[in-house]
Amino acid sequence: MIVVKNLEKHYKIAKRDPGLRGAIKSLFHRKFETKKAVKKINMHIKAGEMVGYIGANGAGKSTTIKMLTGILTPTSGEVKVNGIIPYENRQQNASHIGAVFGQRTQLFWDIPVRESYELLKHIYEIPQAQYEETLKEFVDVLHLEPLLGIPVRQLSLGQKMRCELAAAFLHRPKVVYLDEPTIGLDVAVKVRIRAFIKQMNARYGTTVLLTTHDMQDIEEICQRIIIIDDGSVIYDGSIQDIKSQFGDKRVIHFELEDAADSFVLPETISEVTEVLPRSDEDPHLVSLSFSNKNISGAEVIHTMMNHYSVADLTIADAKIETIVEEIYGRGMKKEVQHEEIH
Amino acid sequence: MLSRYTKLYYLFCKQNLKVMLEYRMDFLLGVLSVMLQQFAGIFFVKIVFDHIHALNGWTFYEILFIYGIAATGRSIHHIFFDNLWTLGWQYIRPGKFDRLLIRPINPLFHFIADRLQQDGFGQLFIGIIVIGTAMPHLGISWGILEFFILVVMIIASGFIFVAINLFFATLSFWMVDSLPIVWTIFNLSDFARYPLTIYHKGIRHFLTWIVPYGFTAFYPAAYFIKGSGFERLALLTPVVAIFSCIIAYWFWNRGLKAFTSTGS
Ligand SMILES: Nc1ncnc2c1ncn2[C@@H]1O[C@H](COP(=O)(O)OP(=O)(O)O)[C@@H](O)[C@H]1O
Ligand SMILES: [Mg+2]
Repeated sequence: MIVVKNLEKHYKIAKRDPGLRGAIKSLFHRKFETKKAVKKINMHIKAGEMVGYIGANGAGKSTTIKMLTGILTPTSGEVKVNGIIPYENRQQNASHIGAVFGQRTQLFWDIPVRESYELLKHIYEIPQAQYEETLKEFVDVLHLEPLLGIPVRQLSLGQKMRCELAAAFLHRPKVVYLDEPTIGLDVAVKVRIRAFIKQMNARYGTTVLLTTHDMQDIEEICQRIIIIDDGSVIYDGSIQDIKSQFGDKRVIHFELEDAADSFVLPETISEVTEVLPRSDEDPHLVSLSFSNKNISGAEVIHTMMNHYSVADLTIADAKIETIVEEIYGRGMKKEVQHEEIH
Repeated sequence: MLSRYTKLYYLFCKQNLKVMLEYRMDFLLGVLSVMLQQFAGIFFVKIVFDHIHALNGWTFYEILFIYGIAATGRSIHHIFFDNLWTLGWQYIRPGKFDRLLIRPINPLFHFIADRLQQDGFGQLFIGIIVIGTAMPHLGISWGILEFFILVVMIIASGFIFVAINLFFATLSFWMVDSLPIVWTIFNLSDFARYPLTIYHKGIRHFLTWIVPYGFTAFYPAAYFIKGSGFERLALLTPVVAIFSCIIAYWFWNRGLKAFTSTGS
């Protein structure tokens, strides 16, 4: 259904020196910086698959989705969705896809939800009978009845997102792209939305590509995940595989009394634990990753307590979060090593 | 294809009208304020003519007629194509433009149909009144043919406004927001509400062949003014309109292409 080969997207960012002088200088000759947002990625998604597309902020997820929907033209590489090259036949592609982009609405702002759907019915040329049947189904699953008469601008975020999802699936598209559909929603709404997505897939065989920061979304909806980091795919496989491959992984976050700049791993555990890259946000935080085949969590904690004054700690077990964190950590590490070599 | 878009346009319009009626007060105030603005302009011309009999050979009613065509042509743009002003700050910057690109219809159509501007009705209303007032004083007899030509001229005038705004709004695909440029250019159309003969030759040529606002009011009006000397040039108005629209649409497609390759 979705075939992507060596896909790349480079953004050109106009660079200029700070201040008025820089502004004036940039009028005459502009310097450009190239940002490689997506680098030679490959993926092959079959009809009816539900794939989680995950990665840190700025990893290139939205850029990829924009290329798949035809909004962006790739710098190089190939994309085919349902046999169509999206950026060349944008309108043709559009009739077979649905999309939700985070907090941006696809609906018509000022008019009631029901009228928005009516317009979409005409835009996508949905047969009346099918439209009525679909709408009735969606209203049931997403509990839209009380919202239909309200203009979109008056809806709460959760209500809007439910309406938004219905709009994306209304024309029974073959593929639906969901770019952070659950961001900022409360648990009850998330549950409803997940159920809806699963039902659509089961009933209509809709292919779904989902990006989210909520691993619960991924665990419940997707059979497969693709992890992207800094524009490159660093993992593509089933959730089962990743769990058994990394299932013995544990991460413990230590909150130290002192700033952790000069932190070194105690020698006794340095063979079997790894320090994950530290965030700038919390200078006291040190995260250690290890496999519980090699060392027990208790021993790691014990050793750390002996060497440092620990204010607090959290143990993350082999949930998908931990694993992903671990994989990001490696991705970043690779890069650091790269720089050292050059 | 055409009938599909006609139907879609009708449906978009219906929704927009519903919203308008929901904000009845806004509707009335908008129409009234535009009418007031127009009155102020006409009043100014009236005051000038209280002191002189003719302006560079043009009588009060002739000037009024030009003014009326400008207002009516402009109202077509104002009512149906007003969304052009918002391309940069309401669509591209906030990322709303993406939405238009994932719909199976022409994005320009979608963009234009997204909005109907009620205030323009005030302009239309005034324009028709002004034309009606000036018509009997132009010294020609009005038959069916003249009426038909007048309507064609006004529609052409409207589309020249549209083409020029579309052209400059399209610059928003490359820059942060081209609104200041669109404004500046649009204000040039005020010049065209007076006989172009009162201006320097350079300005006249500019408003005829570069940014053809001359064809939005003065030339089409001159067609109906005996001995204006511009009757033949006036006949070019529909051609200029079509030509301008083609250029503007071509430019829009270029802009779209740039947008889909830069993503901003
Ligand atoms: N229109 C743009 N122009 C320049 N750079 C961009 C543009 N859009 C995104 N980027 C950059 O490309 C990278 C990937 O962005 P994005 O695809 O939005 O990531 P994600 O969705 O994974 O958070 C980021 O570094 C971002 O700053
Ligand atoms: Mg994103």
